[in-house]
Amino acid sequence: MMLLLAAILPALSTGPADAGAVKLPVPKVEYRINEASASRSPWINANGWQILRAPDRRYYYDVPAASPALAAAEAFMYGAKADIHTEPDGVELFNRMLQFLRGIPERGDLPTMANIGVLDDGSPETGELMNLLSRRNLIYRIVTAPDPHLDLNIRLGSEEFPKTEAANPSKLAQKIRAELTDEKRLLRVYGSEVVIARLVGASDRVRIHLLNYANRPVTGLRVRILGDYPNWQVAAYDHPDLKLEDFATADGATEFTVPQLNTYAVIDLSKRSH
Amino acid sequence: MTMDRRNFLQLAAMASASAATTSTDLPKYRVVSRFAPAPKPGMPGPFPGKAVRVHAEKSVDTATGNIDAPTVIEMLSRGMCSLTGAKTEPDAWAHFFNANDVVGIKVNCSGAPKIFSAREVVGRIVDNLVALGIPARNIYLYERFQDQLTSVHYDRVVPAGTNIFAAEAGRGSIANYDPNTYVETDFFGEEDTRSNMIRLVTERFTKIINVPNMKDHGAAGVTGCLKNIAYGDFSNVARSHNREKTNTLSFIGTLAMVEPLRSRTVLQIMDGLRGVWHGGPFSENPKFRFYPKTIVFGTDPVAIDRLLLDVIENKRKSEGALSIWDRSMSAIKPGVLDPHFGSFIREPGHIEYASKLGLGVYDLQKITVTNIEV
Repeated sequence: MMLLLAAILPALSTGPADAGAVKLPVPKVEYRINEASASRSPWINANGWQILRAPDRRYYYDVPAASPALAAAEAFMYGAKADIHTEPDGVELFNRMLQFLRGIPERGDLPTMANIGVLDDGSPETGELMNLLSRRNLIYRIVTAPDPHLDLNIRLGSEEFPKTEAANPSKLAQKIRAELTDEKRLLRVYGSEVVIARLVGASDRVRIHLLNYANRPVTGLRVRILGDYPNWQVAAYDHPDLKLEDFATADGATEFTVPQLNTYAVIDLSKRSH
Repeated sequence: MTMDRRNFLQLAAMASASAATTSTDLPKYRVVSRFAPAPKPGMPGPFPGKAVRVHAEKSVDTATGNIDAPTVIEMLSRGMCSLTGAKTEPDAWAHFFNANDVVGIKVNCSGAPKIFSAREVVGRIVDNLVALGIPARNIYLYERFQDQLTSVHYDRVVPAGTNIFAAEAGRGSIANYDPNTYVETDFFGEEDTRSNMIRLVTERFTKIINVPNMKDHGAAGVTGCLKNIAYGDFSNVARSHNREKTNTLSFIGTLAMVEPLRSRTVLQIMDGLRGVWHGGPFSENPKFRFYPKTIVFGTDPVAIDRLLLDVIENKRKSEGALSIWDRSMSAIKPGVLDPHFGSFIREPGHIEYASKLGLGVYDLQKITVTNIEV
């Protein structure tokens, strides 16, 4: 079982990437027509799928001065060992994020939550599929064999998911969503297409990581998670007084509004008080 | 299964929608609202199938587009008195409102700053509400998009303290929408499947006045009372169009039916002083503007919109434009502002669809029109 190592902090790099480190693209939103999709969804450069695919590798970001906070949060969210190189003007931003990450309450090693399993054959096609699943918050984990406890197992090349369908990963992700059904999705995000979530936890408590890939705050983000979790705590970067709003548990789900998400927030939900 | 009020309302709304349609390819809607309908919902209200049409030739200078404010004042007075049967203008307004109300005025600014609910009309509506004893602080002019609303400068015609509110200061934010009142549906596989109602409607307003324009609409066929109150009060509605296909046929009526919007929208005042016969809801090209010089009053949005269908279709016919009822793919040319073509297969049937949901009278034979000349 993949575990998220909550306490792995990214480091500031002053030089080039170490030999063997995987260089990751700059995380960000590119506002362009998504030609593979019926929608005009913005394109997100997100690296979570790469980190999940090889969690023990070392990663290297080389980002402009505006981006080290986002890169650091992304690395932390996925438990990556990462070095971040940035311009001199970006160092303060990095340090501010690092200080925030250090202050996030420890919850121990919580397992990845998912109800979709992806049998990763290491191919670019499966990688791109995982990328699309991440961007649509279709919560998955990588498995080595079909897991009967999951609602859906995906192996590209199977009769159900032929390789030919991988030519349009967006359409394939849509098919997976339809097969799972929205009702069974562990987590939904409403009000933004540029926020990616990660979910870890056990039966009585979950931690939701929310990462905003845009360069401006998202306001009024609505989150729905399966399960009744009446208690919450939140830690938000650059927003120490953030409170969740319109919190409700009903019909086997918990919903709340994050009034403002600047870059990164960590929300702990539990069945009992913290 | 335990059925609470929320479930009951969802199921009731879904049953109404399914009863109204004979097509099997309509989207499935899930309506979530904690509000029960009023005993007599505002739509169609106390005057189903009734419309009062007030025309004044001198209301607009067509050379400049300027509106003659004194004429508009008289048009509003005559229209409201005729609709309600009241002898005086204050009595006419008192038919719908009292000093304790918090009133939202749903203006239409989607074509601003070229066309919008006229300042002279909106300003006079506010004057009449204030005259009833409603404090300016309890009156809200509202729209979805800040940039459009700001461009109209309603602040120049309303008393100090009147609220001018846009739900989305930044496009796409749902912060000012009610997370517990929404319609959920998946049209084209979009990720965000909810359209939420503006929070002021659910939490602040006791009554709403709908002030649409008379316009052609590339997707809906026309945009009048129903389109303005439906798409103008919910988030995330543009997702209903994709390529040549638009779901306005069923989505407009479904949204307008959601409580408390349906119950609280008690008065329709269609500003047809200026209109758009092609390219709507926008008005980038002035050659597609026209001047009906008319204001229509009623409580039944379907009846008023049924009349609008003929206004727009007849004008388009006189200009040699494509019929709003045309459904041929050969006439679809997205992004081309040519009256012989359209961007979508238009859905003017949304008005009849809404009538089957119970929002008003569609049959022209059953609509009573009072014409007044000022």
